[in-house]
Amino acid sequence: MRLLIIEDEPGIAGFLKDGLEEEYFAVDVAYDGKSGLDLALTNEYDLLIVDWMIPAISGIEVCRQIRKAGSLVPILFLTAKDTLEDVVFGLDAGANDYIKKPFEFEELLARIRVQFRNKDRADDSLSAGSLTINPVTHQVFAGSTEITLTPKEFALLEYLIRNKDRVCTRSRIIEHVWDIHFDSDTSVIDVYITFLRRKLEAAGCGNLIQTIRGVGYIVRETGMV
Amino acid sequence: MKPSALKGLSVMSLRNRIALYYTIATGFLIGIVFTTIFFMVEKIVYKQFDDQIKKEISEIFDDSDISPNNFQGFDSFRDIDAEHNDEKGDHQHEEEKHKKKKLKLDPEFIQLVNSNGEVINKSASLSWCVLAFQPNQSGTNYFNSNFGGSMVRQAQVPLTNADGKNEGYLIVAVPLKNALIVLHDLKDIFLFSFPVILLPLFLLTRSIAIKSISPIEKVIATAERMSQSNLDQRIPLPFHHDELYRLASTINALFGRMQDAFQREKHFTADASHELKTPLAVVKGTLEVLIRKPREREHYETRIQFCLKELNRMARLIDQLLMLARYESNKMTPHIVVTALSPLVENVVERMIPTAQAKGIAITVNQENNAHISADPGMLDMIFENIISNAIKYSSSGSSIAIEVKHDEGNVICSISDQGIGVPAEKLNAIFDRFYRVDESRSSSTGGLGLGLSIVKKLADLQQIRVSVNSVPDTGTTFTLTCQTAESPYPIELPC
Repeated sequence: MRLLIIEDEPGIAGFLKDGLEEEYFAVDVAYDGKSGLDLALTNEYDLLIVDWMIPAISGIEVCRQIRKAGSLVPILFLTAKDTLEDVVFGLDAGANDYIKKPFEFEELLARIRVQFRNKDRADDSLSAGSLTINPVTHQVFAGSTEITLTPKEFALLEYLIRNKDRVCTRSRIIEHVWDIHFDSDTSVIDVYITFLRRKLEAAGCGNLIQTIRGVGYIVRETGMV
Repeated sequence: MKPSALKGLSVMSLRNRIALYYTIATGFLIGIVFTTIFFMVEKIVYKQFDDQIKKEISEIFDDSDISPNNFQGFDSFRDIDAEHNDEKGDHQHEEEKHKKKKLKLDPEFIQLVNSNGEVINKSASLSWCVLAFQPNQSGTNYFNSNFGGSMVRQAQVPLTNADGKNEGYLIVAVPLKNALIVLHDLKDIFLFSFPVILLPLFLLTRSIAIKSISPIEKVIATAERMSQSNLDQRIPLPFHHDELYRLASTINALFGRMQDAFQREKHFTADASHELKTPLAVVKGTLEVLIRKPREREHYETRIQFCLKELNRMARLIDQLLMLARYESNKMTPHIVVTALSPLVENVVERMIPTAQAKGIAITVNQENNAHISADPGMLDMIFENIISNAIKYSSSGSSIAIEVKHDEGNVICSISDQGIGVPAEKLNAIFDRFYRVDESRSSSTGGLGLGLSIVKKLADLQQIRVSVNSVPDTGTTFTLTCQTAESPYPIELPC
């Protein structure tokens, strides 16, 4: 999952990036509205965290522009503006959620998870075949056997399972699992897929991730056809 | 007035009160007019009767051939009524008949009394009745009296003999019946019409009052609708440019100022909460992330250092906010003394030089000697420090800051010029506002808190120092302080 933080206060952007990366997110940061809007419109992010009062273009305007461009990416407003009018104004501008500063980091994480929550499941867990992953605890189970994954492996598997039954191209995978500073050498994906397959095979789910030759990878609910 | 009545009046609406006062005043005037009319009519009526009686008396005296001043005794009046009427009998028949008719309609009563009031003789028309007598009257006296159950107007003429001694009186009376009915009716009409006039007058005045003060109702309605959330409400101005128009426009102007003040306060609160919450959020978030997992010692140290830096910034901000609040509530009064400017400026510059040098900025000072002004040295120090640190903040490496102090027509002019980024002309007025920054991002990259210049302005105002600012974007900004010269407490050292 790849996030964009648009926040002019380097202190806040800094700890958000640190904390979210530890939660296996790929995180980009923009320090003003204009560069933030550019990034949001040229890259495919899974979620935006936007401060209201930012230079060049205000958070509200960034939000409006993104919605105008037809993007439905979840947007969380993160701001010190805390009156009722402000909250309503922010949400009406197209934000999905509104978090007042100062906030609890755990609450922010929970609110981010809400945005990713599967619409037809009560809990946050994701599954494909006999495999279940928990994005809160970052645990992966094949049946009742726990599989230990590195953060990157987990992020890759989470992305594939969230998009199960859909072909994930290498470039999309790069975009959503790695941050902007990663040079787009897609062969690294093949390396991580190999690691993942090895660990899944040991737990008896070897054929979960399938290769679509020349395109990318897919996870199918029903397994191999 | 009783307390309850006072209370009743105090809760009475303005329109009722206007109507009441107006009605009372008009009622009073109408009362006076009615009373005057009544008494004048009464006087005219009595005068007519008196004239009639006077005529009667002179006829009697003519007939009896005596004068009241040469009274010969009552014998000559023996048969006064017959004589008087016989005299008339000599006239033509028709005329006599007419007179008799008149007599019957308006019969006159004649009575003679001696000086003790004993009746000597009286006309037949009196039959057994006696006219009222007022003893000890020296001149002819006219008065009303009750005669046999009805009122009469009568005259009492003293009769004196040749020696001037009072022998008795001639009393002549005419009935007042018709005249009294007229007067009585007039009184009734007045008494009846008085309330009948007053009630419609009250209602009319009230409706006029309602119409006149209807703009006030609008003022009240608008003021009642007014709340913090809809301060943009205004009173519709009346058509006529009268006092109510002025009232409405004055209140509208007041609403405008209130709205501005609320807006400024709201802005300030929003800014202050942003400025305070941001470092708080940074520290809190950093520590929250830090504590989630065990980390290396070095990692902890860098994050804690970072948090300390943020906390120091916050502490400075709180200090400045409190200082500003104290100045604004005027709890701090300047301690104004004669202050030598040169050492003070040099002192501040000395403190600022390390910061300036770190950024590669030079500070030059050009001072005229013996500049003394009336000011609070501590506050003045703070003014210079804020302006100079501001100049350093917005200047780039290699530029310089020039400080100049000179005399000018009884004033001391200090100017601090930088070659920094400057301020666009349209934003120049706002730079003294709390938390205002030309760069709206309020990014802390310059390290500023946005309060420095507000403090400068406040401190300068307290000491009656005028602060002005000139700026050209990308060329530089000049702050000018105009202070009043004070006499130097020390003798000026003249060069020998």
